[in-house]
Amino acid sequence: MSRHASRAVILVTASCLVMFVWAFPVLWTLLTSLKPGVDVLAYPPVVIFEPRWRNYWDVLFGPTSILPHLWDSLAVSVLATTITLALAVPAAYGFARLRFWGRRALGFYTLATQMLPRIGLVIPYFLFLNRIGWIDTYRGLVLVYLTFSLPFAIWLMVSYFEDIPREMEEAAFLDRAGRFRTFWYVILPQVRGGIAVTVIFVFLNAWNEFLFAVLLGGKRVQTVTVHMFNYVGIEQTQWAMLSAAGIIAMIPVIVIGLAGQKHIVKGLTIGAVKGGGRR
Amino acid sequence: MSAIGSVRLRDIVKTHGPVVALESLNLDIEPGEFFALLGPSGSGKTTTLRIVAGLEQADRGTVAIDGRDVTRLQPGDRDVAMVFQSYALYPHMTVAQNIGFTLRMVGTPRAQIERAVREAAARVKIDHLLDRRPGQLSGGQQQRVALARAIVREPRLFLLDEPLSNLDAKLRVETRVELKKLQRALDVTTIYVTHDQEEAMTIADRMAIFIEGRLMQVGTPEAVFERPDSVAVASFLGNPPMNLVPGELDGRTLVVDGHHITLPHDHAGGARPVTVGIRPGDVRIDGEGLPASVYLTELLGETTIVNLRFGEQLIKARLLEKRHLREGDEVRISFNLPNVHLFDSASGERIALA
Repeated sequence: MSRHASRAVILVTASCLVMFVWAFPVLWTLLTSLKPGVDVLAYPPVVIFEPRWRNYWDVLFGPTSILPHLWDSLAVSVLATTITLALAVPAAYGFARLRFWGRRALGFYTLATQMLPRIGLVIPYFLFLNRIGWIDTYRGLVLVYLTFSLPFAIWLMVSYFEDIPREMEEAAFLDRAGRFRTFWYVILPQVRGGIAVTVIFVFLNAWNEFLFAVLLGGKRVQTVTVHMFNYVGIEQTQWAMLSAAGIIAMIPVIVIGLAGQKHIVKGLTIGAVKGGGRR
Repeated sequence: MSAIGSVRLRDIVKTHGPVVALESLNLDIEPGEFFALLGPSGSGKTTTLRIVAGLEQADRGTVAIDGRDVTRLQPGDRDVAMVFQSYALYPHMTVAQNIGFTLRMVGTPRAQIERAVREAAARVKIDHLLDRRPGQLSGGQQQRVALARAIVREPRLFLLDEPLSNLDAKLRVETRVELKKLQRALDVTTIYVTHDQEEAMTIADRMAIFIEGRLMQVGTPEAVFERPDSVAVASFLGNPPMNLVPGELDGRTLVVDGHHITLPHDHAGGARPVTVGIRPGDVRIDGEGLPASVYLTELLGETTIVNLRFGEQLIKARLLEKRHLREGDEVRISFNLPNVHLFDSASGERIALA
């Protein structure tokens, strides 16, 4: 066997192993979601069984339907994403183009928001939202999510804007586009990749969020992650139902992940090679 | 000759932080001229172009185009088009969209844009590439797209910022000929920034020499080359550069390295130290004259550059004929006296004839 071929075999084996470790819980959840209640905790685990779609039916249309909660999650995530984009894109453009004191502070603040233990912020957030009467509302949750997603999105978008040479704008000015149309027709289309990455990260972050959703929302606004928690009871946990709900909640994540795959990888590596691969 | 496209710069001052980019610049460019701004990097030539374009604001002074003060106008309102060194093509648009963008921005009807784009593209021979994107083009093709984008709108002024510097040597020489023809055909005033003196000399009607933020001299390439106003311009122009040796001038007598030379012309002013400038082509190696020794010869194909040790100095001579000179050979050199340039040692300025 040539060195090339053996290398390939090792690589593929290693990838499969890593994939399996990652995919195992997902697959397990998928299997569980299709099992009748009695099989869920059977030992040794039942691997071959007749799939039972009933769990999904119950989760979707049963007495405690997941549907309104899917809606809550969607509303909060879409709102958080939209507002983040609307504010972060122009802000990042400003940061990238105008050199001012906030430049370095932004990087630090962004890192800080990602590093701080979120549980430490729950009480101040609660007191604040309570004071303005926004507890358990869409706008309350969205506001809290914005405090994390905005700095992150600005920080991410700045690197995309910085990759665009200044001459691009100057050419557009001379082409009589003016400042706004230069931004709209010349600059914005060139950061589409960055916008895609921002949307994915911000949306998924809001969609998957649990801690704030349960403590600052929970009754009138109950997102999917919080709702799923209801299947965990004191007397028994409805594992099959919980799994079915989990799979349903995963679907948008997977769809967005697949759709944005190309951009996500680029987003993770941006800045690794200055100006690499663009222009 | 065109009647529009004059530029007048008055007392332009520009600083970048502590660095003086331009100090009190006055410059007039006539309609229809192909005008080169020539200088080493950091000399202020690009800053001048950008101030004319409106991409930079001068700290002081005024810019007028065709008699209209445009100092405070936005770049888009000055009716000028520019080709950038990097071309700055819009990567997400096709070639046709790139060229037509400026027309679209002023609401030109679609059919008219299409026609204008086609014409402009045909002029620079890229009409077969209209549906491509810039990323799919070679450097030379991109350069043509940038040109087409500038000519499509028929501006008052073309501003070209080192437009050929990203092309390889052969293409650069071809393109500069085409550029000159294009400018003649369109009859549009063109300001051309370059650090390549050969490019400026061959292409420009007139040129301005910038050194360290100062405009040193303006004139036709011939005039500037043959009568440099100062040591700085003299030593910047010419390849290899002019030989500069210290000497002593008194009327018609020049003393160089202890040797007395009688000049064909008289010079005003008393005896004084001077800098003597002699172009390598004006140094002759023949049987008589001043003693020198061969230091190194550089064969350049058609010509040979001979580096000579002359007293304490190293000077270069350009020989058109083949000569077998070896290092260390003792030779005699003489200067083509009518072409000897004399500069005041203290001020560096050219010394006038009496």
